[in-house]
Amino acid sequence: MRNALSGVERALFWTLAFAAFAAAAAGLGARAVDRLAAAYEDARHGYAIVRVDAPDGPAGMAAAESALAHAPHVTSAAPMTAGRAAQILAEWGGASINAADIPALQLIEIDLAPAGPNTDVSGDIVAALAQGGVTADVIEAPDNDAGAGMAGRVRAAALWGSAAFGLLMALIVSLAARGLAARRRELVTVMTDLGATRSQAAGKIADEAAVLGLQAGLAGGLMAGLAGLALLAAVLPHASFAAIRHLIMPLDLAPLIAAPIGAALAAGAGARAAAGYFHRQAARVG
Amino acid sequence: MARPNNPDLDLYASGVLARLTGVDSGYGGATVLVDIDFEARIGEVALITGPAAAGKTTFMHFLRLAMPLRAGRATILGVDLARASPATRARVKRKIGYVAENPTFIEHWSAFDNIAMPLKLGGAKAKDYSPDVRELVDFVGLGAAADLPVEQISGAERRRAAIARALAAKPELILVDDPTSGMSPGDGRRIVRLLAEMRRVGAGVVIASQDQTLADCAPFLRWSIDRGRLTRIDEAEPAEAYE
Repeated sequence: MRNALSGVERALFWTLAFAAFAAAAAGLGARAVDRLAAAYEDARHGYAIVRVDAPDGPAGMAAAESALAHAPHVTSAAPMTAGRAAQILAEWGGASINAADIPALQLIEIDLAPAGPNTDVSGDIVAALAQGGVTADVIEAPDNDAGAGMAGRVRAAALWGSAAFGLLMALIVSLAARGLAARRRELVTVMTDLGATRSQAAGKIADEAAVLGLQAGLAGGLMAGLAGLALLAAVLPHASFAAIRHLIMPLDLAPLIAAPIGAALAAGAGARAAAGYFHRQAARVG
Repeated sequence: MARPNNPDLDLYASGVLARLTGVDSGYGGATVLVDIDFEARIGEVALITGPAAAGKTTFMHFLRLAMPLRAGRATILGVDLARASPATRARVKRKIGYVAENPTFIEHWSAFDNIAMPLKLGGAKAKDYSPDVRELVDFVGLGAAADLPVEQISGAERRRAAIARALAAKPELILVDDPTSGMSPGDGRRIVRLLAEMRRVGAGVVIASQDQTLADCAPFLRWSIDRGRLTRIDEAEPAEAYE
């Protein structure tokens, strides 16, 4: 097959492929950010601290632990030791804190099961503790009204940011495909002179551009997929194939599937518009 | 079902391929063709001569539906140009064979593939059109050059290829702009005779040229154009005189 892809066409192919790669990589990156934010949000809502106000001392802590064992929403409970408190304080304060300097704490860490949107988790737990003769507060992660909910904004930014970037890449693909139509201008002119309609002439060029876009999109998507796998392998060097497959399937395939389809549609649309313009020019010399 | 009464189609059915009455046309702000009256019929060959920049090429562009109708009335192949949709214009164009003064080709395709293009556009398959295209190649005397890319053939061969392409779809109206340009006088006259022969297969032929000596090649209806005004010169001599 002589001159199957030569000169300008080859450059155009790689332009489309790298645009598709960038869009697919942005999509994969957005999916990774989305997953991290969702996991962070789940973890944030799945954890709380119970502060035991009364009875004071070990008796109060024992009663609270006993009550929490049957409390709704609570999947596990563990008293906060001085060592654990020192570790947390060191994480946030940055300085090394001696556990021996920390007084006895009336705090219990609890893990929570997912609850419905209008469920008063704290109220249910406080009630259960009260039935066990314990007066306590439950300290949950701050809600959206208190200025939290950053994860939601991060997820939205990732989604719309990657969508906007994908559209920008589609625009680049579309403009680049006009170059292909310009290369085929003589074909459009001849077809027009021979009586081809606008849709016939533009359709032929658009089909060619769409096929080129599909091939370039497949190449770009494949490159993005391989880059994503390489990054995962670098970040998680000991992860098994099954674990990686669990991490990426099935939603993370969406950007890789969208890349060739989007590139084909954008290239076809760009080439069709340009070829239609050339047809209009060729059809009327006056 | 009876066909609705359409005077343009009746005109076409009676053998009138093109009738222009008081037509003006031009480019941008300039009116190039002025008050043109013209008629082309099946089996007739019209020769339009005139000096450079007289409006010959513009007139050919008008007949191939590439120029706007600014005034007057033009009916080509049964279609009133003032009312024709783009799709109708495209359909009419497919029945017109046009040989430009500087024909455009797909340069990296072979002359054979370029000649076959009107047939491909019409949906014909290679195995069906190949014998016809070979016959056309022989008819215009293109020979082995037909298998070369157009960018590699000579100017005279390009012209022959353009003529073959214009005839490929068996057009009803054949328009030829300056057919002898770039050819030896002998070759040019042979080509003009060859084109005039198309009248025998029921086509109408319109040839524009600066060369008035072509008039003795075939039984032409002669027209003269100057500064955009077209005038009839004389009646055609009987075809037998050229046999």
